[in-house]
Amino acid sequence: MSKVRRLHPAAILFQFFKLLKGWVIYLLIGLITIKGEGLIYYSLLVLLFIFVLLTISILKWYRFTYQIGEDEFRIEYGIFIRKKRYISKHRIQSIDLSANPIHQIFHLVKVEIETAGSGTDTEASLQAVKLAEGEKIRERFKGSSIQEEQPKQKPASKNITNKDLLLAGATSGSTGVILALLAAVFSEIEQIIPDHFYDQTVAWLIGLSVTYIILLAAAVLIFIWILGIVGTVLKYWNFTITKTENELVITRGLLVKKHATIPLKRIQAVGIKESIIRQPLGYVAVFAEVAGSSLDNGEDFSTLLFPIMKKGEVKRFLQHFLPDYTIPEERLTTIPKRGIKYYLFRGSVLFFILAGGSMFFIPKYSWLFILLLVISVYFGYLRSKDCGFHIKGERVVIQFRVLSKMTVLLYKKRIQSMENKQHFLQRKEQLATVKISIIAREGSANYKLKELDEADTNILSDWYSFQNNR
Amino acid sequence: MREPPKHRISADAVKAWKITASIYIGILWLIAIIAGIIIWFFAWPLWIIIAAIVINIVCTYLFIVLLPKKRWERWRYEVFEQEIYIQHGILILSQTLVPMIRVQHVDTKQGPILKKFHLASVTISTAATTHEIPALDEENAYELRDRISRLARVDEDDV
Repeated sequence: MSKVRRLHPAAILFQFFKLLKGWVIYLLIGLITIKGEGLIYYSLLVLLFIFVLLTISILKWYRFTYQIGEDEFRIEYGIFIRKKRYISKHRIQSIDLSANPIHQIFHLVKVEIETAGSGTDTEASLQAVKLAEGEKIRERFKGSSIQEEQPKQKPASKNITNKDLLLAGATSGSTGVILALLAAVFSEIEQIIPDHFYDQTVAWLIGLSVTYIILLAAAVLIFIWILGIVGTVLKYWNFTITKTENELVITRGLLVKKHATIPLKRIQAVGIKESIIRQPLGYVAVFAEVAGSSLDNGEDFSTLLFPIMKKGEVKRFLQHFLPDYTIPEERLTTIPKRGIKYYLFRGSVLFFILAGGSMFFIPKYSWLFILLLVISVYFGYLRSKDCGFHIKGERVVIQFRVLSKMTVLLYKKRIQSMENKQHFLQRKEQLATVKISIIAREGSANYKLKELDEADTNILSDWYSFQNNR
Repeated sequence: MREPPKHRISADAVKAWKITASIYIGILWLIAIIAGIIIWFFAWPLWIIIAAIVINIVCTYLFIVLLPKKRWERWRYEVFEQEIYIQHGILILSQTLVPMIRVQHVDTKQGPILKKFHLASVTISTAATTHEIPALDEENAYELRDRISRLARVDEDDV
């Protein structure tokens, strides 16, 4: 049993900023709105407040200790109520190291220890320890209990090229996300901007001619697009995936360096994603569904194995990194023609009503809704074309589209349950829907293949079932 | 679709469901009556009351008379050595296969209404999904729970 240790004192800073972050906007609003003599008292109050936060941070740091045991990792924390958590070595699934710019200045890392629990919280996280210490912990508690030998040949590894990185950014389609973010930021700032300034801006906008407004909108969109590229480049900077004996190791990021370990046996499914922007260019992203990992919390629902590559490269990539998951390139069993109308209906019914309503109530804009209607019908058609499956031994390839076209490879033993559904219209036409459930980060993922031929759904469930004699 | 599973759930399920539905429908009528009084009081158009009554009558028929019976007719289950096979659904017929090795735990539960009829539900959970077989005879439910629990062994290779 090693001695009891504390985090690097820089952890106080991280704790402090974390606490401050929640309050800073209110403190600032106070500073701006309060005038005259009140301001002095207010400033004193703010200073006192900051002092309290700092004290809490220091106490938290002082009371947080960890200990590296023979077979377990122990942490103790809590200022008044002491909490102890012991994590057995065998339960530890992965240890992620990451470093933000402040970490990098002091040569520190953040250590996150994951167990198999289905929750999205990390089991234990050390805010800041020395890099060497972090690596030592990682070595000590590495994934499985099997003693790992040094691999004889150089481990397989793939790096993202700068060209691909830029392309990934340009086609990321994160424009919408950034727009939403800007709107959120603006709604916060709006409270601070003086009213007359706001009114003037609005008046100025109204005064502009239509051409200017269109140009302005285009400029804003391009700006956002470039922001999206920058965001992607920062996030996936130097994206590297390396294969060791029974893990995949992913490192990425410029400002915040992420280091993630994916034990191979926790992979539930592997798939490729062709987004609507990338598909015509022949580029795809490769992802995996991994049980109980919390890397990239909330950013995406699956773990990216590689953000962008040519569709033709996928086979070689998988053969290299996940030979068990090489996606067979065989013709899929697709949906019969009589199923297409259901897709067209589902895709467009909402827009159909909207378009009808707009013609009635706001005829001026009905062209917009008719355009949306056409697009939605087209998407419905694409979805019907891209739905299918192919069984090969113990594996099944399924393909479907919501917006992006997904091709997923699953093993029978990874499928938690399979459900065949049929509503009364489908029954008349011998169509049925198959729902396949697997474990994924947020507990579970369902894949639905709708309006397959009933005979084909029976083939799928017979393949899955242990009762072969039906 | 596949051949339906063999076993039906308890015939008393229909009664239990009818009572449960009656409670909800009763609340619906109560709301309708209160709304009716208010409408009457303020002399708002009468057609609203008539519409509400028609909707309530239709709901009463559907949820108390028609659907419990239909639902019971569709509900089937069968437990094999290696998998559980469940069928249910009125408008959408659904057949679910759950392999034994994927089952993580089995529960039985019993609300006041089920208790009155000596019924219990069995809930089967995998790592990703949960499945319920509702309203079995008590003993049958407990026996089934124990049997599934015995048959379900977690795969070594599993997470």
